[in-house]
Amino acid sequence: MIRQIIAITLKELKVLWLDREALTLLFAMPMFFILVMSFALEGVFEAGSKGHPIPILVIHPNGGRLADQAIADLKRMEGLVLIETHEGIPLTPDKAEQLIGKGVYSLALHFPEGYTEKILKNSNDPQEEKAAVYLISDPAMNLQLLATAKGAIQGAIERRVLLARMPQRLKEMFGTLEGMGGQIDHLLENTNVTGPERSGVNFIHTFPKGYHIGRRPTATEQNVPAYTIFGVFFIVLTLASSFLQEKRDGTFRRILAAPLSKTALLIGKLLPYYLVNLIQIGLMFSIGAVVFGITLGNLPALIMVSLALAAVANGLGLLVAALGKTEAQVNGLSVLLAITLSALGGMMVPTFIMPDLMKTLSLFTPHAWALAGYHDIMIRGLGIKDILTEMSILLGFGSFFFALALWRFRFNE
Amino acid sequence: MNTSILIAKDLWKSYAKTDAVRGLTFEISRGEFFGLLGPNGAGKTTTIGLLSGLIEPTRGHVVIDGVDLFSRSMEAKARLGLVPQNFALYPTLSAHDNLVFFGRIYGLNGKHLRERIARVLGIVELTDRVNQTVATFSNGMKRRLNIAAGLLHEPEILILDEPTVGVDTQSRNAILESIHSLNQFGVTVLYTTHYIEEAQRLCDRVAIIDQGKIIALDSPARLIQDLGKGMIRMEFNTGIDDRLLEQMKCIGSVRVIDNQKRRIHIETDHADQASRDLLELMKTKDGLLMTLDISEPNLETVFIHLTGRNLRD
Repeated sequence: MIRQIIAITLKELKVLWLDREALTLLFAMPMFFILVMSFALEGVFEAGSKGHPIPILVIHPNGGRLADQAIADLKRMEGLVLIETHEGIPLTPDKAEQLIGKGVYSLALHFPEGYTEKILKNSNDPQEEKAAVYLISDPAMNLQLLATAKGAIQGAIERRVLLARMPQRLKEMFGTLEGMGGQIDHLLENTNVTGPERSGVNFIHTFPKGYHIGRRPTATEQNVPAYTIFGVFFIVLTLASSFLQEKRDGTFRRILAAPLSKTALLIGKLLPYYLVNLIQIGLMFSIGAVVFGITLGNLPALIMVSLALAAVANGLGLLVAALGKTEAQVNGLSVLLAITLSALGGMMVPTFIMPDLMKTLSLFTPHAWALAGYHDIMIRGLGIKDILTEMSILLGFGSFFFALALWRFRFNE
Repeated sequence: MNTSILIAKDLWKSYAKTDAVRGLTFEISRGEFFGLLGPNGAGKTTTIGLLSGLIEPTRGHVVIDGVDLFSRSMEAKARLGLVPQNFALYPTLSAHDNLVFFGRIYGLNGKHLRERIARVLGIVELTDRVNQTVATFSNGMKRRLNIAAGLLHEPEILILDEPTVGVDTQSRNAILESIHSLNQFGVTVLYTTHYIEEAQRLCDRVAIIDQGKIIALDSPARLIQDLGKGMIRMEFNTGIDDRLLEQMKCIGSVRVIDNQKRRIHIETDHADQASRDLLELMKTKDGLLMTLDISEPNLETVFIHLTGRNLRD
């Protein structure tokens, strides 16, 4: 029996050894996962740390001494990096919004003109207008990062405001004590400086102009499109395996002996998978809308991105079918692409918290562009004309995959 | 009406390092049962691929019922029915669903498709299995359904690539009977096999193919008459000496099969007489002869005569 076991083992090793591509994938797959996930998740564990600070655009035209001091304090904080100029020119609110809108940055801090004067002349009169500080954020920004940055900004600003107003408060307090005797408790209460409303600064959180949304995205609004895209690309495995089986079983041979063009065969073969993808997307978004109450935004735009996304996934499936010669190769390549591209494209970890290199690499995945399209529609409230770039790039990916697949595909293998 | 249903003219197929098919030229007449006989790897399946339009030839032409297969492929393919060597069926679908699919590929539908399905299932005797999933079929049943799928659109010529491989004797006989009946009803058949008995039993003419070339083409009877020799195959316990070998050469044409001189073939016009002479010769060599196989002239001995190799080598 041992001899039989050895014989089977040797045979199996030989089969595996002869299928070099599958063997390579077997080793390459975990290696890719380790590399990609480690680089991608670096942002999750280290975002906001000294090595990976959160970038914040700062606009302070004539904001005055208090704005400068708060900015200086924030600059000294580990985990934040303040950017005051773009291409050598001081930032304006419009420029900052434009940069956030393009996805270059996620957060901006705006001290309006006359900010310091307004703080210093402010009194305890509740009727008097408070000085305002504007926080402009990308609606799709990670909420944890936003909370961290917002807390640091508020803390720094309030500290400077209170320090500036302390002499005036003390003067008011001691002046009043002389004349008011027993009302000391009431006055102490009024000098309670911990509440933000007592600092005399109004923090106003806004989004860039043109974003028809007045609230931040929920975790579901982030996750539903991301995991839908992740799932859509699993069609690659199903589709490629089906092509391989047709070749192996000889059904392709039989079909091609019929008066039928190869184009018709390919279209007929791909169409069901394309429809499955669309149903998949429809179902996922329906669950998101019905169960989690997410806003789907402009439906025609959503459908257009979905049509393009399904085309890309099918193109990639055909490419794997063209490249994979054995079941092991098809399985390995499909899983490798589905997971690696998803991780790289920001399906598991948002790209904005990834290191710069990974952010750049994510642009080479269709996943990142599909997610950007969905976020534009669902979170930023944009329409068809605003997602033409994403659509074009997705269609470019699709065309590239199909062209490469058709070049490499052999019906008679 | 053109009497030739299929014309292959100087057909070549070359791959990077080999010529799989080398200048095949032959014609098949309407209603003929034509066999392509050759060992595995002789180029039969590539030839079938070329004749059914699945593979583009490097050179040459194929004309089906007067229509060029490569310049007017849709018209030509509509006249062909292919039964591939693989089962070429969808195992998770029922027999009916498989036939509906393949029928629709050929443009059949509605009542006509239903009638054709019933007809072809009747021919291959699978009517009572119509709704059964193909995965549950025996190999013989799958082979029969495979043939049924090739017949659905009533082709002018049915090309069968080794249709009896991997089936038991009973199923094999049933398949051969079905194919023979089809031919009797006027369907032209191009049949590839490496089973000599099948070719001898069914074919009007046989092309013997080896290393991508036709080495003989005629009716089985004429091939055997002209080229067939009796064959005596012997296997010894140990290698024989040169003296015995010389004595054998007086009986017939001797071929030493292995280096140890343990396996010897003798080709002769008179196998009976030669075998008697051999046994006489071996009387003094007690225990040396292990096996003795005597074949009357047949297509296999024709092949051996032409190539020096067995069909099943």
